[in-house]
Amino acid sequence: MTAAATTATFARRRLPAAVRRRRFLLAVANHAVLIGFAIAFLAPFLFIALTALMTNNQALSPDLWPHPFRWRNFVDVWTKAPLWRWMLNTLEYSVLGTLGVVVSSVPVAYALARLRWRGRQAMFLVVLVALMLPPQVTVVPLYVMWAKFHPFGFNFIGTLWPVILPNWFGDAFSIFLLRQFFLTIPEEYLDAARVDGCSELRILGTVVVRLAKPAIVAIALFSFLYTFNDFFLPLLYTGEAPHHWVLSIGLSQFRSLHQVQWNLTMAATLLVMVPVVVIFFLAQKAFVEGVTLTGVKG
Amino acid sequence: MSPWLVGFSVFFAYPLVMSAYLSFNHYDLLSSPRWVGLANYRYLFTVDPQVWTTVKNTLWLIAVMVPLQVVFAYGIAMLLARAKSGVGVLRTIFYLPALAPPVAATLGFVFILNPATGPVNTILAHLGIQGPLWFQDPAWSKPSLTLLGLWGVGNTMVIFLAAVLDVPRHLYESAELDGAGPLQRLRWVTLPTTSPVILFAVILGVIQGLQYFTQAYVAAGVASGQASQAGDVTAGTLGYPLDSTLVYPVLLFQHGFTDFQMGYASAMAMLLLAVSFGVISIILINSRRWVHYGGAAR
Amino acid sequence: MSRTRGVLALLVLCALGIAAVGATAATANKSAPTKLTVWVGWSARELSVFKKVTAEYDKAHPNVTVDVLGGINDDKIVAAIRAGNAPDVASSFNSYDVGIYCGTGGWIDLSSKLKSSGIPSSTFPAATNYYTQFGGKKCALPLLADDYGLYYNKNLFKTAGIAGPPKTIAELTADAKKLTKFNPDGSIKVLGFDPFVGFYENTPERWVTAWGANWLDSSNKSILAKQPGWSNWMKWLKSYINWIGYKKLVKYQAGLGDEFSASNAFEVGKVAMNYDGEWRVAFIQAEHPNLNYGTAPMPVANPKLYGSGYINGTIIGIPKNGKHEAEAWDLVKYLTTNTHALAELSNGLRNVPSTQKSLTSSELTPDAHFATFLRIFGNKYSSTSPITAAGVSYTNAVQNFATKWQAGKVSNLSSGLAKLDSQLDAMVKQAGGGGVP
Repeated sequence: MTAAATTATFARRRLPAAVRRRRFLLAVANHAVLIGFAIAFLAPFLFIALTALMTNNQALSPDLWPHPFRWRNFVDVWTKAPLWRWMLNTLEYSVLGTLGVVVSSVPVAYALARLRWRGRQAMFLVVLVALMLPPQVTVVPLYVMWAKFHPFGFNFIGTLWPVILPNWFGDAFSIFLLRQFFLTIPEEYLDAARVDGCSELRILGTVVVRLAKPAIVAIALFSFLYTFNDFFLPLLYTGEAPHHWVLSIGLSQFRSLHQVQWNLTMAATLLVMVPVVVIFFLAQKAFVEGVTLTGVKG
Repeated sequence: MSPWLVGFSVFFAYPLVMSAYLSFNHYDLLSSPRWVGLANYRYLFTVDPQVWTTVKNTLWLIAVMVPLQVVFAYGIAMLLARAKSGVGVLRTIFYLPALAPPVAATLGFVFILNPATGPVNTILAHLGIQGPLWFQDPAWSKPSLTLLGLWGVGNTMVIFLAAVLDVPRHLYESAELDGAGPLQRLRWVTLPTTSPVILFAVILGVIQGLQYFTQAYVAAGVASGQASQAGDVTAGTLGYPLDSTLVYPVLLFQHGFTDFQMGYASAMAMLLLAVSFGVISIILINSRRWVHYGGAAR
Repeated sequence: MSRTRGVLALLVLCALGIAAVGATAATANKSAPTKLTVWVGWSARELSVFKKVTAEYDKAHPNVTVDVLGGINDDKIVAAIRAGNAPDVASSFNSYDVGIYCGTGGWIDLSSKLKSSGIPSSTFPAATNYYTQFGGKKCALPLLADDYGLYYNKNLFKTAGIAGPPKTIAELTADAKKLTKFNPDGSIKVLGFDPFVGFYENTPERWVTAWGANWLDSSNKSILAKQPGWSNWMKWLKSYINWIGYKKLVKYQAGLGDEFSASNAFEVGKVAMNYDGEWRVAFIQAEHPNLNYGTAPMPVANPKLYGSGYINGTIIGIPKNGKHEAEAWDLVKYLTTNTHALAELSNGLRNVPSTQKSLTSSELTPDAHFATFLRIFGNKYSSTSPITAAGVSYTNAVQNFATKWQAGKVSNLSSGLAKLDSQLDAMVKQAGGGGVP
């Protein structure tokens, strides 16, 4: 949209022919470079798709084009590996995790941004630190904690709960992002609500949530994407429990699990990419807005 | 606030303290921790032959891959900002790979860059170029991971694009009046105005570099092709080829969760903590010199 | 905000409750047969062979049902034990981690059970007894054994004019060179023999038996630098790789199919000779029954060693904290000592049966290819690798050194080996608890 505005500005001015020609050539060069890169960016998808349609022997040869096209690969994939199971596990993690992040992070971010209380600045600093530290720093004691904690004889290791539950207690990145957004909400809106006798919780539930919708959608999308793609934590807790594998673990073990070949591996790879791409096209605007938000507000 | 405080204590503060405590113990999760003083640190700094390899590999990624990603994303963003048509489509193409699940993307790249059967070397051979061994050669494995990293640079690119488009037009116009050419405008207008966003991208890149795990882990396992008898990524294949992709978090994972030397892994975590703090402070302190926050400080 | 907290707490409790109910429901019903979970490394075709044997056991024992999960490796077993999720019975493809299983008590000591069941150690061949104990504890039993030898493609041998399998390393090198064919562009077309450490079954422990090299001295210190066999093997490895070209080999290898698939490089004729385990006989039978091949002991550096090879094997044990220890022991006892069960497994998997009795069982179906491996198993010079507290990391560290060496990244072999020795000693000490005795 801004690009269109830019074009308009350029069009309004009359420029000497030489300058216009130079600008035109520059624009052509500009586009040529962009299109070149765009092809390079699309090529991996294309190669993956082509391999996914080859026979096993062909995938082990330098051939580029499938001959014959083996569409059956996409059927075989489902019988070779429990893709449905992995998909359901992934959704369990993604949906419950994302829900937790949203429900728990919004109030914390609001408190950090809008409520006056002692230690607010210190807490914000803590969020920043938590955001910056690699998860590997605390991963050993966390694992020990889950391994030793057996309520009702239930063992958390080997399930997805150790990766889902922490999301219900606030996520540093989302808190940070939301706080930055909440800071931009004019105080007058909130004061007006306060004058009307709303409790802080009501204000949060109505005014703030409505005004901050783009930011909340953004953190929900990011959380979903993050949990959907997550590999390290699920591997840690469910590595030896194949019934609880998520797609990313299943895919990483796919090739060796049943002596599966490259053509089927690439078919599975493609299938795993599909859901995120679909979500992207459904929510493209929210995505781009959200990504932009992270940078500009940061 | 309080649920978050609970979460923060349980999932962050306590593990951090515990990690420090465990680093002075021998602990295998089966018998109770046994105090060993500085033995873990002594082994870490003086004996473990792999620690320095992993430190070097991780630093390589931070020093080479992260800057390349930032520069590349910025370049694409600049080109897109100047493009006059097809911006929406091109932006989508450049963003899409960022959505691909890292495990899927890594699998795809290892196949595409297979020196014997992959399409890239096949095409290079048709052009009369002898392609490198990519993920099979210790000198090329990190560059291959870098290519993978550049492919997934979409997030940063979208952030940069928004920032570049946000630069007020009048700044360019006055610069032009002062006789500034395109390069000078980039140096004196675009870069300074977008410097907070660049800083954000650099910090994010460094943080991600410190915890870089999935791609290195999967690439090594798949490229080694040594499907062990039980057939998946095992300790023997980590870092393939020749420890060149053995990054610090992978080694920590191996010591902690395949060897189950929890005490020693905690000592490694403490070193990671110290280094993370160090690296991030250095960036933040240096950034004062080149980041310009327009208007009031946030 | 208290309401949010309440809702949160409720949600978490609900989730926990559902999970807990699910967990207890599974074990509540007492009248149902005991469910024994068994983890094994086998997958696909091999797994179905194993399941057939457990199904027989199932039928004869109405009080238990055996639930088999395949595709398991040491990493998964170790992780499950630490997390308290271990199965009732666990089996690993090799003995590398026995030092960990016995040393940490992760697998229970079976000595008293063996005694009360009247099973003397002479039931099992001596080599298998060595790799199923550590630190005075017998925490595993052999469940079939593996040994390694040379597979050679008879058609390719005939074309190259080679009469029979090589018996010495010098012959191996000469034959491999004869069998290797290059494309016009210099790349490899057919490889006589792939020597790379890390390729399929090529690991240092399997190679050094051909040089008769040892690992440890009498006080269990690493002596790789002092044993000329180690450096002689590595020097041969290097010279052979140099003849082909390191990069050419890497590239060729990257294009080969997976070891455990029908695209296995030996099975499709892309390598003419291969170092492999006895199980390959069954794979070839299933995947390429028309392949014209032969098996022989691995060529050796010292002629008196010819006929020997590296021995290792699948092990089985009972992880600690299991709820059905008695039932688990009964199943383990059946699988490891019942001659019929072992013979059936051996016939299906083409693994070496692991009791003295079953080695000569009349139930074993004869097979000329497989007979080679039975002979290697009985050779007095056949040996295995050390069992240490560091588990598989120990042999991995040696393999790591060997891959560096073959890539030309080690400048001085003897000082490199000496350094490796001290690393290995430090590693065992660290694994045993940070230097505290």
